[in-house]
Amino acid sequence: MTVLPPLEPPPLKDLASEQYEHGREMLGVESGLDSVDLVQLDDSTMELNMGPQHPSTHGVLRLVLELDGEVVKKCKPDVGFLHTGFEKDFERHNYQQCIPYTDRMDYLSPLFNNLGFSLAVEKLLGIEVPLRAQYIRVLMCELTRIASHLLWYGTSALDLGATSPFIYAWRDREKLLDINELVSGVRMHTSFIRVGGLLADVPAEFYNMVNEFVLTFPRLIDQHEMLITKNPIWRERTVGLGPITLDDAMNYGATGPILRACGIPYDLRKAQPYSSYDHFDFDIPIARNGDVYDRYLVRMQEMRESVKIVKQALDNMPDGPVNTTDRRVALPPRNEINTSMESLIHHFKLVTEGMRPPVGQVYQAVESPRGELGFYIVSDGSNRPYRCKVRAPSFSNLSSLPHMVKGELIADVVAVIGSIDIILGDVDR
Amino acid sequence: MTGPVAPSAATRPVSGSRAADLITRELPGVILRRAVAYGEETMWIARERLVEVCTVLRDHREGRYTLPQFVTAVDWPDREPEEPRFDVVYQLRSLEFNDWCRLIVQVQEDDPSVPTLERVFAGMDWLERETYDLLGIIFTGHHDLKRILMPSDWEGHPLRKDYVSFGEPVAFTHNLDWALPALERPPELTGESR
Amino acid sequence: MGLTTDAAIANPRVVHAQDAGTIALPRVGAGERAAVQSGVVTTTIEQVIQWGRYSSLWPALFGLACCAIEMMAVGASRYDMARFGAEVFRASPRQADVMIVAGRVSQKMAPVLRQIYDQMPEPKWVISMGACASSGGMFNNYAIVQGVDKVVPVDIYLPGCPPRPEGLLDAVIKLQKKIAGERPGSLRG
Repeated sequence: MTVLPPLEPPPLKDLASEQYEHGREMLGVESGLDSVDLVQLDDSTMELNMGPQHPSTHGVLRLVLELDGEVVKKCKPDVGFLHTGFEKDFERHNYQQCIPYTDRMDYLSPLFNNLGFSLAVEKLLGIEVPLRAQYIRVLMCELTRIASHLLWYGTSALDLGATSPFIYAWRDREKLLDINELVSGVRMHTSFIRVGGLLADVPAEFYNMVNEFVLTFPRLIDQHEMLITKNPIWRERTVGLGPITLDDAMNYGATGPILRACGIPYDLRKAQPYSSYDHFDFDIPIARNGDVYDRYLVRMQEMRESVKIVKQALDNMPDGPVNTTDRRVALPPRNEINTSMESLIHHFKLVTEGMRPPVGQVYQAVESPRGELGFYIVSDGSNRPYRCKVRAPSFSNLSSLPHMVKGELIADVVAVIGSIDIILGDVDR
Repeated sequence: MTGPVAPSAATRPVSGSRAADLITRELPGVILRRAVAYGEETMWIARERLVEVCTVLRDHREGRYTLPQFVTAVDWPDREPEEPRFDVVYQLRSLEFNDWCRLIVQVQEDDPSVPTLERVFAGMDWLERETYDLLGIIFTGHHDLKRILMPSDWEGHPLRKDYVSFGEPVAFTHNLDWALPALERPPELTGESR
Repeated sequence: MGLTTDAAIANPRVVHAQDAGTIALPRVGAGERAAVQSGVVTTTIEQVIQWGRYSSLWPALFGLACCAIEMMAVGASRYDMARFGAEVFRASPRQADVMIVAGRVSQKMAPVLRQIYDQMPEPKWVISMGACASSGGMFNNYAIVQGVDKVVPVDIYLPGCPPRPEGLLDAVIKLQKKIAGERPGSLRG
């Protein structure tokens, strides 16, 4: 595997700063004015409440900030405003019924949730789905990753005042939602990946649509990057902001682009490949500084890598069924039901009661757009999970926020929140 | 990690064996039980030695389990009375050796407490609060053990098996007689405990 | 509350034809159209106020869960809610007059949601977007409020999980029709 080299740090002084200095000279503003010492009256700090209804918290996140002037001394996030009780609901539903619930957890990457849950149950059952299903899973997941990163790109730029990226990001995201709709009939919560395979095989138009996307999208990413990557305002507001070191990131349990922006090429798709990711040739983008700008660069680069994976999956798509033939999961075929009483009973039992994985506990992690998404399932041999714990990447990533924003200006807090790419449905579950 | 393509699922070593071997070697007698299933190794340890074990796992150069994955607990109310009711589950990941390990600490119903690990891993702060909130496990020594997901005045711990996840009866045309008067019923008559 | 005497005085009885022509009021009939062509139109204060209200709905920028993503889609390039005059999402509830409850409402969020609703000035309307906001949806459990109408009065229920953007547009149009039929001076909520 090759790892992309760390991205070059931007030059310390860029065009914007030079022009700014030049402008001050022209106006005759003394540079000393910036460094006027404010008289501090006493040590008292101000507490500021931010959220739960706030345009830049990406959902319902509440922060209690302790401010000294404009500098954040302390940040206490308050989460749970979207706590939905998924883990309790899993315990009340049989395994296939859990799939629609997983969709709604991290609602920007529903297919990864489907995949993680399905892989965990398949691990319990000891089945491996046909290669074609694995390839389609990979393909759809990577398209979802692009869609998720696009939305992140649009909203986090919007937080810093750039409106156009949001509009352009949605232009491209809609194409991906169209593909979702084609394969499953739904734009967002597809429930496309099921235990034992897929909802159905993809229709014939699918290949053309994906192919067209793969051909056009690299050029469109260039457009996106042109909008803000070298934009002086964007750079001024993100370079060097909210840095976190590799050790701290690991200590907080942060994964995904946050970890990779610190310089470590840890990606579960490479490290512990699942669903035939080891058949694909792609690189892991990393960056060096671990700040907001580097996280941005890593995600933009990841979209390009995802396009590479989609292209390979499309070119090498094997033929064959998309569902396992293991009768503990798969329904008997129609003609068999018509002729055999046992098959009819089996069909009835599977539909009404669902599959029964053996007793045990498994953990299966997938690399979602936000990091390590894991499902820890305890089975007691019944048709429902005895306990299903979701290792949510956003939860651990968000717990590192107080560390990142300490000592930053209050106006930059929104930029840091945006760079973590939290989904509150994933944090609160 | 930076070597050739990582081994596929079939040839991958058992997850957690490295950690279990390391603890067996470094702290003999700490592991109460080891079990391998589904290519994953689980070790049961006593809660008195938890902090010690995790510190070794984090710092030992052959372990380097530096990333906390999650903390949770599994409630087993139907176990034999003398057996502990809660399994507190910890998972740690080692990026250096591309491995993860699972630790289980069993605690009794009348004393569901384990020592906190927030001074070993900073990320444990929130993970332990979540487990306290949803399952009522007390993490002794935690600096700020309070609810994180549920409202602060909430009563009960929802993910315990005896916590009735109340819902409302859903009225369909075939069960109007049953569903509509039930709106006035006390919550314990409705819903389903599991 | 909505109509004050000042507002009534400020609204002239005669509307300039070029303004009236672009409105496409649902109540404009053939007679009014003829009047528009003549350059003078007579109308009632109620109608002018209703027209002002339903033509520029300002939703509160308030997303909860999955439906909020589709709400973003409605505001973005393909669906473009600006065509119906409702694209100005206000971050402050003080400046908003319609609240789109986009997503599931948890027990912890319900008091916050009510407070945001209370902070909105009258007249105000609520669209309950999606199955979770309307009835609790698939989450019939301890954590989710079984329908946002237990917390705030709802004008439009929009089914779907999540509803398609076209669905939200339809809800907005239906709300506009509803507002057009309300008496401006009547107290609400």
